[in-house]
Amino acid sequence: MAQCAQSVQEFVQDSFVPTVAVLCSADAERVTRRNNLSFPELLRPFCRLTSEGHLRDPNNLVVVVKGLRISVTGVNTQPLQPGEVRKLLSQAVSGCQPPEGLPANVVTAGDYDLNISATTPWFEAYRENFLQSMPASDHEFLNHYLACMLVVSSREAAPTEQFQRLSQEQHRVQHSGEYTHPKWFIPNTLKYYVLLHDISDGDEQRADSVYEDMKQRYGTQCCYLLKINSRAAAAGPAEQMPDPWSQYLQKSRAQSPVSPEACEDAAVNNVENNVSSEVDGHDVSDALSESHPLELDQTSNLGYPGNPSVAVNSIDTSRKQGGLPASSTPVAHGACLTLNDHDRIRQFIQEFTFRGLLPHIEKNIRQLNDQLVSRKGLSRSLFSATKKWFGGGKVPEKSIAELKNTAGLLYPPEAPELQIRKMADLCFLVQHYELAYSCYHTAKKDFLSDQAMLYAAGALEMAAMSAFLQSGAPRPYPAHYMETAIQTYRDVCKNMVLAERCALFSAEVLKSQVKYSEAAALLIKMTSEDSDLRSALLLEQAAHCFINMRSPMVRKFAFHMILSGHRFSKAGQKRHALRCYCQAMQVYKGKGWTLAEDHINFTIGRQSFTLRQPENAIAAFRHILINDSKQVATQQSAFLREYLYVYKSVSQSSSDVTLPQLPLPCLHSAQTRVFFGHERRLAEGEKQAATHVWLDQEYDGEQAQLWAELEEQVVGVANKGSVPIGFQPTQYCLSCHTDNLRYPLAVVEEPIIVEVVFRNPLKVPLALAELSLLWKFTPKDFSRPPGGVPGEALSNEKEAAAGRVSAAPRRGPSARLQLLPHKTGELQVLSVLYSLGTVEEDNGTTSRPTFVRGRQDLEIQGPRLNTTKEEKTSVRHGPDHRLDPVITPPMPLLEVFFINFPTGLLCGEIRKAWVEFVNVSAVPLTGLRVASTHPEFFTFGCAASDLTPVTPTASEHCSAYKTMATPPSVAATMLVSPAMFGVSGDDRPTVAEIPLVGGGLGPGEALQIPLWLRGPDREGVHEINFLFYYESVEKNAKLSHRVLRHKAFICASRSLSVRATACHSNTLPRRGGAEEEGGSSMLVFVDVENINTSEAGVREFHIVQVSSSSRQWRLHTCINPTGDRDSRLASRERGKLCFRATRCRTQEGETHARKYTFADLNLGNEQIVSSTTPCADFFFRRGSPSEAQKGGVSVGGANHTRRQSLTPAGGADDGVTGVVQKCSEVELNIIVLWKAYVVEDNKQLILEGQLHVALQTVGKEACSVPQKEEAQEMVLLKFKPDQPPPVSRPTLEQLSRLIKTCLHYPESYDHPFPQKSLCMVPVTLTLSNCSLAQVDVIIDLRHKTTSPESLEVHGTFTWLGQTQYKLQLRPHEVQRLVLKACFFQAGVYNLGTPRVFAKMAQAGTMCETSQQSSMPALIVINSV
Amino acid sequence: MAVCVAVIAKENYPLYIRSVPTQNELKFHYTVHTSLDVVEEKVSAVGKALPDQRELYLGLLYPTEDYKVYGYVTNSKVKFVIVVDSSNTSLRDNEIRSMFRKLHSSFTDVMCNPFYNPGDTIQSKSFDSIVSAMMVQSS
Repeated sequence: MAQCAQSVQEFVQDSFVPTVAVLCSADAERVTRRNNLSFPELLRPFCRLTSEGHLRDPNNLVVVVKGLRISVTGVNTQPLQPGEVRKLLSQAVSGCQPPEGLPANVVTAGDYDLNISATTPWFEAYRENFLQSMPASDHEFLNHYLACMLVVSSREAAPTEQFQRLSQEQHRVQHSGEYTHPKWFIPNTLKYYVLLHDISDGDEQRADSVYEDMKQRYGTQCCYLLKINSRAAAAGPAEQMPDPWSQYLQKSRAQSPVSPEACEDAAVNNVENNVSSEVDGHDVSDALSESHPLELDQTSNLGYPGNPSVAVNSIDTSRKQGGLPASSTPVAHGACLTLNDHDRIRQFIQEFTFRGLLPHIEKNIRQLNDQLVSRKGLSRSLFSATKKWFGGGKVPEKSIAELKNTAGLLYPPEAPELQIRKMADLCFLVQHYELAYSCYHTAKKDFLSDQAMLYAAGALEMAAMSAFLQSGAPRPYPAHYMETAIQTYRDVCKNMVLAERCALFSAEVLKSQVKYSEAAALLIKMTSEDSDLRSALLLEQAAHCFINMRSPMVRKFAFHMILSGHRFSKAGQKRHALRCYCQAMQVYKGKGWTLAEDHINFTIGRQSFTLRQPENAIAAFRHILINDSKQVATQQSAFLREYLYVYKSVSQSSSDVTLPQLPLPCLHSAQTRVFFGHERRLAEGEKQAATHVWLDQEYDGEQAQLWAELEEQVVGVANKGSVPIGFQPTQYCLSCHTDNLRYPLAVVEEPIIVEVVFRNPLKVPLALAELSLLWKFTPKDFSRPPGGVPGEALSNEKEAAAGRVSAAPRRGPSARLQLLPHKTGELQVLSVLYSLGTVEEDNGTTSRPTFVRGRQDLEIQGPRLNTTKEEKTSVRHGPDHRLDPVITPPMPLLEVFFINFPTGLLCGEIRKAWVEFVNVSAVPLTGLRVASTHPEFFTFGCAASDLTPVTPTASEHCSAYKTMATPPSVAATMLVSPAMFGVSGDDRPTVAEIPLVGGGLGPGEALQIPLWLRGPDREGVHEINFLFYYESVEKNAKLSHRVLRHKAFICASRSLSVRATACHSNTLPRRGGAEEEGGSSMLVFVDVENINTSEAGVREFHIVQVSSSSRQWRLHTCINPTGDRDSRLASRERGKLCFRATRCRTQEGETHARKYTFADLNLGNEQIVSSTTPCADFFFRRGSPSEAQKGGVSVGGANHTRRQSLTPAGGADDGVTGVVQKCSEVELNIIVLWKAYVVEDNKQLILEGQLHVALQTVGKEACSVPQKEEAQEMVLLKFKPDQPPPVSRPTLEQLSRLIKTCLHYPESYDHPFPQKSLCMVPVTLTLSNCSLAQVDVIIDLRHKTTSPESLEVHGTFTWLGQTQYKLQLRPHEVQRLVLKACFFQAGVYNLGTPRVFAKMAQAGTMCETSQQSSMPALIVINSV
Repeated sequence: MAVCVAVIAKENYPLYIRSVPTQNELKFHYTVHTSLDVVEEKVSAVGKALPDQRELYLGLLYPTEDYKVYGYVTNSKVKFVIVVDSSNTSLRDNEIRSMFRKLHSSFTDVMCNPFYNPGDTIQSKSFDSIVSAMMVQSS
């Protein structure tokens, strides 16, 4: 509860004071008018008595009257009309605003700290005005006139007559019955004659004589000579005089409707009207329409009817509209009065009160008391008797009134029932509260028994008040009296004014007794629909009660503040409403009660706006919108519209250059992406552009890593093997995932596209329009040496354009804005400018949506730092420079188009496509290279191959291969160095240089070159990344190179599966065969299976040619048993081909160790030159053997080899092992060339392809199709290092292949056994060393066949001659031993009994192993 | 029965609030918020008397012109507030009590949900249905 300046007792006393009327002659009025004051006004500051007065009550006890105040008013002061009262009160409240910067009272309740204004002066002002404007009522006499001052000027020609006239006038007013209004307390009103003398003007002697005359005529007690105006009016204004009138008159001035403040209020109200009508018709200002503050109430100025001399008296403090100049400059009051005059006036009042008024009152009390005492005994019994007899019908007219309405019951003015009340009132006025209480109490009983409810309520009220005011407090304050009184006033009498007065007093008393909750309840009860202002004030007081309770009820306080604010706003008290809402806001703020918070914010925003505090309004509205509001959509759209309206009006009024920040939609700065370069054209007819990078692509960390690695590789190659230290992969699209520590580089004349992401937190759609970027640019010339004066930062012309973006609710749209730099320098993108508006869905045509322009800054926080300890313990963020690009000098810009680029291929299929390089910049480019994740997938051909490119269209139906018409015959061979195909060493070339004519592309030049593609070996979808690298001809300090990315997807489907096996051929090389060398020949079996699942419409496959490529071996002839040369394979068919392979000539093998021999064995009539571009290219680009075996080729052996190479231990043994292994190693690559007949769209297409099989070990099968790896077994985690593999020794099997043996003998031998019993047959044993080392060989002939069957089947024979041989064979040496076998009888014998042991010459005995026994060598001995 | 059911956290921010005439949501928010003062008053008064065996049900907090507001405080100081239409005179104190008990047990279930983050607004469907059941009966 707000603290009052007065104590409650003082307040009540001051509210009920003796009132004195003033009747002034015109002359006297003129005298006072010189001071700009009327007579009552003149007296007003001196109306409180400083000394004590005394009077005796009927029981002759002395009553002390302390601090009495009297109220002096002009006799004709009219009671205000209710409308006027309302206006007056409203002005009083609005004129009294909380002072700015007053230290507020901080109330701490629980976790709330509230700033609450300690005082509510507007309430006190209201109360004072309210009580003053109370109309005099018939049921009480407290504010009836007790006395009348008759004032006559001493200058009057005949003052005595004038007094006479005034006295008659007074009598007429009181008793003629013409006038209802001025109510008089007692019939014989005290008349007090005042002679007003103007010292500066009048004749003092005359005045004195007149006064003497008066004294004689009216008695000394009733006369007074008041001398004023000691000074001439023209006295200099410099003289400082206290102006006691100002505080009394200021209020009335403030009430004057033409005061500036009221003007402002009126203007504000007009604004409010506009707002409410324009916005949504929410009516908050109904109170204003009925009484407009500017409306001048001229009629009330006409004075009292029919009496011009009295007319002046009507000019009173509260009725000054026309009487005083309505200027805002303060009028000096009392200009003619000196301090002495002030004292005289004070003296006059004192004299009047003590000598005139109090004795008069005392006298009246006595009279009344006597009357009552004399009547008591009689009337009591009489009344009760009559009541008994006549059943309560005391007076007929009263019973009628009672029937109608008990409240309307009126006693005649001189009714005896009223006498006691009169007496009580008199006692009350002179502060004799004991007597007053007993009188009121008696009167109450009487009135109640008469059912005169209004009178009873009045008596109750005053009884309670006098009980409260009794100094000794013999009885507690009867709160129930008050309650009954209020209830009666309100419900029975329907007199809200009286009820309100009663409530105000009661609440004040209750508050003083710390009964806050009762006071609050009382005040809340008094709020009603009929007066918004009253309700607002009372609710506010109630709220203050709640907060002042012992345990403060903060929320109730807040709630009632809101209610009060609402009522204030309805009453048109905008400032008070705003203040209330702001105070309530403190409770609701940030406590999670969002709905309520939003409501308050909204209201604050609205009120602030109408009060021309647009900044506050915007802040409040902003608050509603930025939080994820839980309001319904319609509410949100209302909020939004309101915000936009306010914002618009603010932005229109302010001439600020920088646009303000907009709260909506949320801008996700971190998700901003920046792209450097042009928007990509993806396809252009046949041409398919390189995919490159574009904003539509999602960021993929793995991909980015892959590209960065590719770029690093290609940069390494371009810089001759070393990657520059400061190398950073080029980033075209910067997002939150990329590393933005460095300033990105953009090229002049190439656009920079910024994508900003918005999120709409509302449920209603938002429209964004006219988006653009705000940026800063510092020009710099990078071609000049650094140190040049950087140009002034400027904002050069921009090309930011984006259509209207409609932000659908809850979804994040993104806008792409483009900047095109024209100069080199440093650019900084600062913020996004846009117009925000609502989306009118239903009737977009009728009302154009309002758009407001504002901006939001793009502030990107870098990633959190986490390297040093300091950074780990605190939260620090690194810089993020993605929006601060450096504009570099022009660079070439390459565009790559692919022509006839397939999307699906068979595995191994060869396709010729074209690629076009276009330099779209104005700068020549050079050093074009390409790096790829799948280098085996494509080739540009070797430099040697003829590059006479026909156009892509012309070569469409030709074979990709170079062919020659040759009948199938012995393989044609060709020696090719891998270097020719850009392959050096075993590593696969991931970077290929692109052969450009003249080494570069000039500005605007285009070049088409062929590109061969080969379907990947494994089926499925393959993602192939190309990274094109190029440089500028001129070196650019900032940007050394540029790259272009392309990502292709190839769907590979199964074609053929080729399995090949090699085995040693046991047949002896034909003696003297020119092309044979040392018996090194092998049989190669090639199994080809059509594994195509015919989805692609592949009818059949033709094996066209089988070629070999190896450094040591070559295919020699086709030794297919069947004559089927052109093997065709329908679906799921399998074919077998058999070839003989021979070792290449040694000398060639030695001299061209790095060269490969290509041997072509064509099965048809066309030979494909496998050693030329597409075929050999892909051969060299095939997966290296180590990679191929990953696909599952010859698992055992290859693994073994690898493991050996990994273990460097065991010197001699290792050598042995190597040598031993070499014997069984073949390094033969088979290339199977095929044609597939495909029907597609009723057209037959011929597809070509090649498959590679790498044979590595004799006897092991190799496969072209990477076999599906068996499900990878889970690898156990090993915590100990692996046991080193045991020093491997060559296995027996491998050792047994050191030597190849062969027996030569006649198949059948005729021998005449009868003639000669012993048959001797010469047998040649050929031993050939397969290894590259010297081998010691022991041949043991003694050995018998151990197998029992052979014993049974065959007879025995013996070897003749030396039974054991020891030989030494040099690498690849062939030796022949001539043996003799001796047979005893005819039969079939197995000659394969010799056992051959071999060991390496260097190694010890341990390696001696029996060699693989040869095939059973059967000989037939015939007897002839 | 109820026109508004609210669950308020210990720190006096709403965990759950639902009312039947949705257009009057704001009013109920204010009502419930204001009732917290009375709840606090009652709790502090009761707390002095019997700290151990505190009755969770607080009874009628205060009547307004149109509604009656009832309160309930769990031992963890979570408040339940049920607003009932004043015109509904058939409602007995015991029924209100049982409504609160039901509400409490359902709230306990919500709290026991390991995926519920204490202090978050309640979005449990089962809780919602319990509340709906209380509200539906009224209409």
